[in-house]
Amino acid sequence: MADATNYPVNLTNCGVEISVASAPEQTVTVGQSATEILYSLGLADRVNGTSVWFNPVLPQFAEANAEIERIANDDPSFEAVVNKRPDLVAVQYEWHVGPTGSVASRDQFHELGINTYVMPADCDTKDNSTGGDGTRTAAFSTESIYKGITELAEIYDVQDAGEALIADLTAREQRAIDLASSLDLAEDLSAAFWFSSTDLGVSPFVAGQLGAPGYMMEKLGIRNVIESDEEWPTVGWESIARADPDVLVIASMDRRRFPADDIEAKREFLRSDPVTREMSAVKNNRIVEMDAHAMSATMRTIYGLETLAEALSNMSFNE
Amino acid sequence: MSIALTRATSARFGLRWLWITPLVLVTALIAGTAIGETPIPVDTILKVLANQLLGADYAVDRIDAGIIWNYRLSRAVVAACCGTSLALAGVVLQALLRNPLADPYLMGISAGASTGAVAVAVAGLGAGALSLSLGAFVGALLSFGIVVMLAHAANSGVGGGRGVQAAGAIILAGIAGSQLFNALTAFIITTSASAEQARGIMFWLMGNLSGVRWADVTLAVPAALFGLLVCLWHRRSLDAFTFGADSAASMGIAVRPVRGMLIIAMALVTAVMVSIVGAIGFVGLVIPHAMRFIVGSRHTRLVPATALAGAVFLIGSDILSRVLVSGQVLPIGVITSLIGAPAFAFILVRGKRS
Repeated sequence: MADATNYPVNLTNCGVEISVASAPEQTVTVGQSATEILYSLGLADRVNGTSVWFNPVLPQFAEANAEIERIANDDPSFEAVVNKRPDLVAVQYEWHVGPTGSVASRDQFHELGINTYVMPADCDTKDNSTGGDGTRTAAFSTESIYKGITELAEIYDVQDAGEALIADLTAREQRAIDLASSLDLAEDLSAAFWFSSTDLGVSPFVAGQLGAPGYMMEKLGIRNVIESDEEWPTVGWESIARADPDVLVIASMDRRRFPADDIEAKREFLRSDPVTREMSAVKNNRIVEMDAHAMSATMRTIYGLETLAEALSNMSFNE
Repeated sequence: MSIALTRATSARFGLRWLWITPLVLVTALIAGTAIGETPIPVDTILKVLANQLLGADYAVDRIDAGIIWNYRLSRAVVAACCGTSLALAGVVLQALLRNPLADPYLMGISAGASTGAVAVAVAGLGAGALSLSLGAFVGALLSFGIVVMLAHAANSGVGGGRGVQAAGAIILAGIAGSQLFNALTAFIITTSASAEQARGIMFWLMGNLSGVRWADVTLAVPAALFGLLVCLWHRRSLDAFTFGADSAASMGIAVRPVRGMLIIAMALVTAVMVSIVGAIGFVGLVIPHAMRFIVGSRHTRLVPATALAGAVFLIGSDILSRVLVSGQVLPIGVITSLIGAPAFAFILVRGKRS
């Protein structure tokens, strides 16, 4: 049994001092990662508004989630969040709620007596002042996910649930790593993660070295052929094809704004483009499908690690 | 003495272009094929070109071959077509409007194309039936049409009025049209795109040649040739228009039909290019001015010189965009604007002095 929380809880969260006087009764989330972590801690009844969705909610929470108002699929407005009268706003990305937040700055909430909590995965080892999706200053690790879970569990006084969730995720993480190391993968095995592209054929958004996909590759002993430290750099197919990774991981998502959002369109492009169809990953069908949300620094990163390890265990590398 | 000498030189120069053109163009195309994101040895490049063009049978890595033939060469050809078209559109607009600052980018064509593309990409207009390019094409024609009508409603511009006043009206209409369509683009992006997508769209708005393949070449080459032939055919009319509509009429030119036809042709060609590679600014402004310095303002020489220089300029800008930042490709519009904006300022100041 973990201790009960002693209020007030004082924390430095993404560089901002916060003080929580009592367990929040009402919460609005800005970002799917924050939403799903609160659900996983058994706090669905304390969430009264959600926003910023990437994939469908995890199946075990579908029922609870259906009862809760979805304020917006993308960025909610500041007033829409405030109108739900939350005690705390839980946030996935600083570019929504942060120094130049598209929803608001944290001060704007604090002035109204509303606390904010930003998931550490988006600011520990990450510089969000560079614009776009930010730049990693050091490698992402699941420690920042566990830190977020621990701190939220303390804020809401559900520390047992926090410890149980972390124990479950750590065990899954270890199992995936063990599975990969049992495969005797080649020393120089390489991969690239393709998220999407603004149009089929143009330079795609691929995962940089230090984000969640970088962590997965590092844990499983795979080299990322993309050398950028940006979270999602745009790299030409010429560079990717020349690097010729052994494995390609492609994102599946419900979003349909770019043709390449569709996983089938991605596959079709890889098979038909005169250059990509010559890549060894495409020729040998070493293409892995992964949930787009798992490629972000979230709890689901660990599920992504499992997906990748399992896919590798079903692959043949004898060309 | 010196004037006579200059004339003689420029006359010889005018003839010499015909010899130089294919040579310069081929050199630029080869440079565009040889230089890229990743280094490929020269002998590999020559072998691939020999295989493809001469039916040779050298053994080359298939990925290298694909990159050189399917990515780089097609990209260089489209860059050439795009540079030619945008530069010629600038020449025509400057002659017709008697305004040194006329340029398709400044007259709302690019802004409209961007709106059309974003409407398809982000707002899902046309529910997948419309491609990004078609959206850009429709948007470009729509915005240009609005700019022309606005100028026309100001009782000047394309339908009548006098030189300077008419030119002023259409430039102002262009600014208004550009602002309107830029606002629409911003509206669509902020209401329905996430930050990651907004970045992708911005990349496209600044021009992006990374998606070019041979299929685009079959559209770009005829469009560019059409633009070039129209300009060559009307080279004397363009000369006449530079002295004003009244002078052109007194020389026996059917002012309205010719002017209307030229503007529509240039809008079409520009819209095709924008729909293939996105919005690329300042080519139509900088290249015609630079060429007037070199070959004078007679369109017999100015048109071919501008066509060639536009092609080479854009191939060069594309090469720069690929090698300036290692491991990253900049939007080509960034390069052309970095060169074009100071040139624009120079033209403004120089115009004031004269």
